[in-house]
Amino acid sequence: MTDGDTEVVEQTLRIEAAPETVWRFWTDPERLARWWGARSELLPRPGGAFVVEMSDGPVMRGEFVELVPYERLVFTFGWEPVDGESLLEPGSTRVEVTLTPDGADTILTLRHRGLPPGETTELHRSGWAQFLPRLADAAHT
Amino acid sequence: MDEALRAVADPTRRAILRLVRDHEVAAGEIASSFPTMSRPAVSQHLRVLNEAGLVDVRADGNRRLYRLRPDGLRDAASFVEELWSDRLAQLKTAAEQEEWPARTRAEHRARRAADQEEP
Repeated sequence: MTDGDTEVVEQTLRIEAAPETVWRFWTDPERLARWWGARSELLPRPGGAFVVEMSDGPVMRGEFVELVPYERLVFTFGWEPVDGESLLEPGSTRVEVTLTPDGADTILTLRHRGLPPGETTELHRSGWAQFLPRLADAAHT
Repeated sequence: MDEALRAVADPTRRAILRLVRDHEVAAGEIASSFPTMSRPAVSQHLRVLNEAGLVDVRADGNRRLYRLRPDGLRDAASFVEELWSDRLAQLKTAAEQEEWPARTRAEHRARRAADQEEP
């Protein structure tokens, strides 16, 4: 899926838990660490840090943009540069999470916007030889 | 996580990919580009790249010709897609585990209430 010149990744899933519970797993560092990364720094207010450190080093550095408790959460998403190269520059992409109650469950929809267009040939031209090791690092989480 | 990503994590293999990016190159010629490396070591790298689907190989007489497979490398969006599906599956498990004891108690209560209502 594309959004102007960039790619959007969209995923939806049902979670058998209330939106209040799911919300805590995005805003409480201890709970976030149960499903993503080794450590995190979360300041759940607009402009607050959203930083997740992977167990083998790569660091996702973002900022909370919007918080509507138990309903909607928006944050920026990027990887800290390593040796001056970043897979996704911090601030360059944005993740929107919406939580919709369905009975006692939650329907979670995640949209990740602003991803660079995915032409493999483009990657070749723009120096994928430097780019891909970052992917490999980020993948081992 | 992914064979192709692991394959390109190695600097020698990235150098090989650059060599075979635009045209076919014979295995012998690839090996001579790495004078400090043994032939078997280079062959091993070529095998890894081939198994990861990053290069095509064909025989020409007794030579083996390698070339980059253009669609072998995945793009950033499909990588991110995979990242989120793995993470969200774990989020689902963690959130459901947290609520599971309360839900089980509520279901027991509901079942007991239903049993008592029956004549």
